[in-house]
Amino acid sequence: MTQMIITGLLCGALLGFVMQRGRFCLTGGFRDMYLSKDNRMFYALLVAIAVQSVGVYTLIELGIIEYNAGTLPLFAIIIGSFIFGIGIVFAGGCATGTWYRAGEGLIGSWIALAGYILMSTMMKSGVFAPINAKFQQPQLQTNSMADTLGINVWILIAILVAIVGFIVYKEVTKPKVFIPTLKAKRTGLAHILFEKRWHPFVTALLVGLIAMIAWPLSAATGRVFGLGITTPSANILQYLTTGDSSLLNWGVFLVLGILVGSFIAAKASHEFRFRMPDVKTGLNSFAGGNLMGFGASLAGGCSIGNGLVMTAMMTWQGWIGLAFMILGTWTAVYFVFIRGRQKKKNTVISTKTSPTTA
Amino acid sequence: MKKTLEVMGMVCPFPLVEAKEAITELSSGDELVIEFDCTQATESIPRWAAEAGHSITNYEQVSDAAWTITVQKK
Repeated sequence: MTQMIITGLLCGALLGFVMQRGRFCLTGGFRDMYLSKDNRMFYALLVAIAVQSVGVYTLIELGIIEYNAGTLPLFAIIIGSFIFGIGIVFAGGCATGTWYRAGEGLIGSWIALAGYILMSTMMKSGVFAPINAKFQQPQLQTNSMADTLGINVWILIAILVAIVGFIVYKEVTKPKVFIPTLKAKRTGLAHILFEKRWHPFVTALLVGLIAMIAWPLSAATGRVFGLGITTPSANILQYLTTGDSSLLNWGVFLVLGILVGSFIAAKASHEFRFRMPDVKTGLNSFAGGNLMGFGASLAGGCSIGNGLVMTAMMTWQGWIGLAFMILGTWTAVYFVFIRGRQKKKNTVISTKTSPTTA
Repeated sequence: MKKTLEVMGMVCPFPLVEAKEAITELSSGDELVIEFDCTQATESIPRWAAEAGHSITNYEQVSDAAWTITVQKK
């Protein structure tokens, strides 16, 4: 138990810290691919996947952990991921993003988190559990891409690493535009940790490494999986309402650690403040949180569980899930930011800007 | 001319979306002062301004989780 608390919290805190400082936002990343034709954060995700994939399969080869991808509830993954993708746009962040933004003091993220945790619990052990179970049928026999294709998994990993290497090379050698930054007020380590902009690929490398060490740390406590957000989030509410301590697992402390790590990072960087959203944002956050919980529970994972971890494990679940959550995000972005803004423009011409004397 | 865009309390990507919209109403050389508190915009607003070719004449953190940036339209 003590080990679970310590390593879980520590791993979560590292992740929360890195994500807060690196502005590692997958919702923003998926959204910007469409809204501003900017793929940087998506590429960063691919870097994190590749790092973790090489790392975890090395651990498997060394016999440190064992892994079986299991079966594939294709239908649930497609529907669930798509709904999850819509939800994260309304919630203003994915599941992990919502946890770490809660640590920055955003009350809107607390609201989204409440909806997300409640709905995940309802889907996993509450009134919607029978519906969820129905969606999980039929299951395809193999989830592992290597098994379906009849090849060694390292061939897939090599292909991914080659693609990621090429993308990183192209991005890093691109002519750079000078981006103004805030004036440095600190020096040395404090500057790097609490002030400097982190390159998304550096952040991604760190996220990939944390995702990798999560596996042996979690497995040592009896939970053989890497980073996961949705099930542990539901476990918190299940534990709080039943008092059954067998519901506590490494993942629970991982998600709590994200909150702690992000709070430490935000506080030390002077980026923590309680911020109350307006009514509309609050309602959107709650609705988004619910959609997120519904989708992630159906799909068996969120943008971390499926998008970062199951992709690295070279499963159909991971890559199909990732594709459909991106499609879901784009669908919501179209209705919220593209059509929604056009409508607004036709009625009122910007009431938010007010001229001031120069 | 100087215009102020107050987007405190708005979460990403709204500060950036609003800024992009507000700047279309300005003429070249005008300045847009954006006051925001969304952490992620500390990255996205300067990046957008730089890539769009606008210049940034002022950028500072005002207090805990509050920033102001002045973008001069190209």
